Amino acid sequence: MLLFRSEDDISAWCERRHITRGAVFDLARLWGLATVWYGDRLDSAWRRRTIPERQAILDGVGLTGSFWRLTSS
Amino acid sequence: MNRLIPDSEIRLWIYHYFVDSGRVPSPVEVAAHFGLAPSDVEDRLRRLQDDADALVLLPGTSYIWMAEPFSAVPTSFLVRSGPRQWWGNCIWDALAILALVGTGGSVLTACPHSGQPLLVSATKRGLEEAQGIVHFAVPAREWWRDIGFT
Repeated sequence: MLLFRSEDDISAWCERRHITRGAVFDLARLWGLATVWYGDRLDSAWRRRTIPERQAILDGVGLTGSFWRLTSS
Repeated sequence: MNRLIPDSEIRLWIYHYFVDSGRVPSPVEVAAHFGLAPSDVEDRLRRLQDDADALVLLPGTSYIWMAEPFSAVPTSFLVRSGPRQWWGNCIWDALAILALVGTGGSVLTACPHSGQPLLVSATKRGLEEAQGIVHFAVPAREWWRDIGFT
């Protein structure tokens, strides 16, 4: 996951590297995702989240659709 | 005595070591802190990677590469908070470090296409300055196929 100056930079970078353009969104949404996704890493009771739990976090910050599905089913 | 130290305690100590010092402890340092044999620590670090999904080791070694969101090696995402600094594995992880340490700070990176420096800063209350736009190239179902690329 990289940070670009603009959407035009994303398009040019993808074209140059022959990479399919993925998902694009602003830092406010990523901040929301980062705080929840990693929020328990300093807890003594931390454990690996299940896939449904991870999916619920993505859904909770509005990252829905096929790109954000953690399983192919 | 060694059997009384759960892997989870070692995991947590590694994370706090990272937060406090800005660097990852070596397997020898982990062994010295807990009074464990180096070979035992290597086994535990592998379990924390393979079974608990808590760490990523440098391929072919028992040295820690990532304790997500922290990176043990320099990256393009420098995180600073007061006198402390860390590297994030990506912009997602860099923001997560700021959130985890909870003292406010900044992320310094650069646009991979234009090369323009980009600054993101946050306070205890949340995101403050936010330059740039995020691109996820890898679909979620493939994130762990090659975590280094992701």
